[in-house]
Amino acid sequence: MQAATALRGRKADSGQAAGTGRRLGHLLVIPTAAWTLAFFVIPLVLITVFSFGTENLVTFNVNFGWTVSNYASFGSDLYLTTLLRSLALSLGTTTACALLGFPLAFFISRQRPRTQRVLLACVIVPFWTSFLVRTYSWVNLLQTDGPADRLAFGITGHHLQILYSPASIAIGMTYSYLPLMVLPIYVALERISPDLYAAAADLGARPWRQFRRVVFPLALPGLIAGIIIVGVPAMGEYVIPEILGGGKTLMIGNIIVGQYLDVGDYPFGSALAVSLMVILMAMLFALRRVQPVVEAR
Amino acid sequence: MRLRAHPVAGVLALAAVGFLWIPILAVAVNSVNQNSLMISWGGATAHWYARALHDPNVRTGLTTTIEIALGSTAVSLVIAVSGALWWRGASARARAVYDATVYARIILPEVVFATALFFLFLKTHFPLGIAAIIIGHSVWNSAYAAVIIQARLVSLDPAMEEAAADLGATPWRAFRRVTFAALLPGIIAGGLLTFTFSFDDVVTSYFLGGSAASPLPLVLFGMIRFRITPEINAIGVMVMLFTVTLMGVAVAAFALMGSAGRGRRGALAEFYGQ
Repeated sequence: MQAATALRGRKADSGQAAGTGRRLGHLLVIPTAAWTLAFFVIPLVLITVFSFGTENLVTFNVNFGWTVSNYASFGSDLYLTTLLRSLALSLGTTTACALLGFPLAFFISRQRPRTQRVLLACVIVPFWTSFLVRTYSWVNLLQTDGPADRLAFGITGHHLQILYSPASIAIGMTYSYLPLMVLPIYVALERISPDLYAAAADLGARPWRQFRRVVFPLALPGLIAGIIIVGVPAMGEYVIPEILGGGKTLMIGNIIVGQYLDVGDYPFGSALAVSLMVILMAMLFALRRVQPVVEAR
Repeated sequence: MRLRAHPVAGVLALAAVGFLWIPILAVAVNSVNQNSLMISWGGATAHWYARALHDPNVRTGLTTTIEIALGSTAVSLVIAVSGALWWRGASARARAVYDATVYARIILPEVVFATALFFLFLKTHFPLGIAAIIIGHSVWNSAYAAVIIQARLVSLDPAMEEAAADLGATPWRAFRRVTFAALLPGIIAGGLLTFTFSFDDVVTSYFLGGSAASPLPLVLFGMIRFRITPEINAIGVMVMLFTVTLMGVAVAAFALMGSAGRGRRGALAEFYGQ
């Protein structure tokens, strides 16, 4: 009896403590909420608002007013070409990553566990090395008389001449983003139960049919995740075109940085940044719509 | 019958692995190459390492980078750990909002985010420099840390904490010995990851450093844009060895092949996979 009372007492105690803990627990949201609001949400709202403003280019004062002129100048040839080039490069990079990444992920998933770990390390470790230095390495590999050029000259008798062109940017971006395509596809493939393969084989499916009817549909969510992780950041890439485009071939990210840090036209720079954000949100939304459809199949 | 990878997939896979490693091998080779144009092999030398180690810009850059990386890691961990603890007791709707903000901070192109924060600092007259960069890095770094720490938290059964309380542990003691102990590998892995991401960042630092701070990646970026110098390769190899060591520790801390060692955007791959 006494023991029961004591037990009840402790239960009540711990219940009370848990209650206080829970109330205190709600305060734990403050750091993350404050930080995200102050340094993420507010800045993005601010550039959206100011993208409709105008700037006095002499005094650098930004006047707030609802004008769409910043968006109108966006329609000029230079910016439209750059935007289309960014879209094309993002699309090309994503496609190249998928074409290389899917076979690689599939190949890894079909090996023994130990081999799988070694191959995964081969995909991940390049990721840990300085991104700038890796990108710069391509300048040296692709330059005239560099290794790739000599190989091409030896085979075809023509110089490669792709450094500082959209092609070299695409190579650099495919290189940088490839691991991001491999990992989600691998995770999806890894989840496929071996029983499914056995069932498909028992039912008489040949390897190609097994791949087409079992492996590919189940890996598709991973492929879509890879497309999002590669395609979205690739649209806003700045460093790779800066290094491998030689300052001649630009992407929208380079123009935004230029408008901000060199020209100082903040409302126009903001309009470009906001447009990029809207385009990416539309792309994400579209891809998110595809995913449930895929999963439902 | 086991489904085997078709030989074509094997060839493509090996080509892809080669593609990933060739530039890194080229960096390593050129870091000891006497030929300063890096076109052909000109004999071995340690000259570029000596030059890199004596370059005053590289040295101050390195100090600045370490200060920034430590600062942003500390801020990110406070945000991520408190957020993760809050998440456990939050309603489904609140969790969804939290998850969406984490996701947005990771996926938004850095150029857009850095532009916006730069503009905020400009309008509020907040000085650009080390503090500004630390704030900037911690916005996306705290999101990566949150993903990793959360993955750890999911595996912690609340019954463990209740058991500790029933056994007479004070709430603080239960937190320290059960909750925090369970989170520790995630905190270590998240901390090391955020440190390396911050260590490697260009875009956010470029916007928020102003003329007051140039961390190592900005020093390298400047060198790369204006001249060809093999010194870069030597710095690259040293940075690589440093990062690989750190990440090796991260992987060990987070158990083999957890969501730790997957690079900045690779953490996102893991996030999606869940």
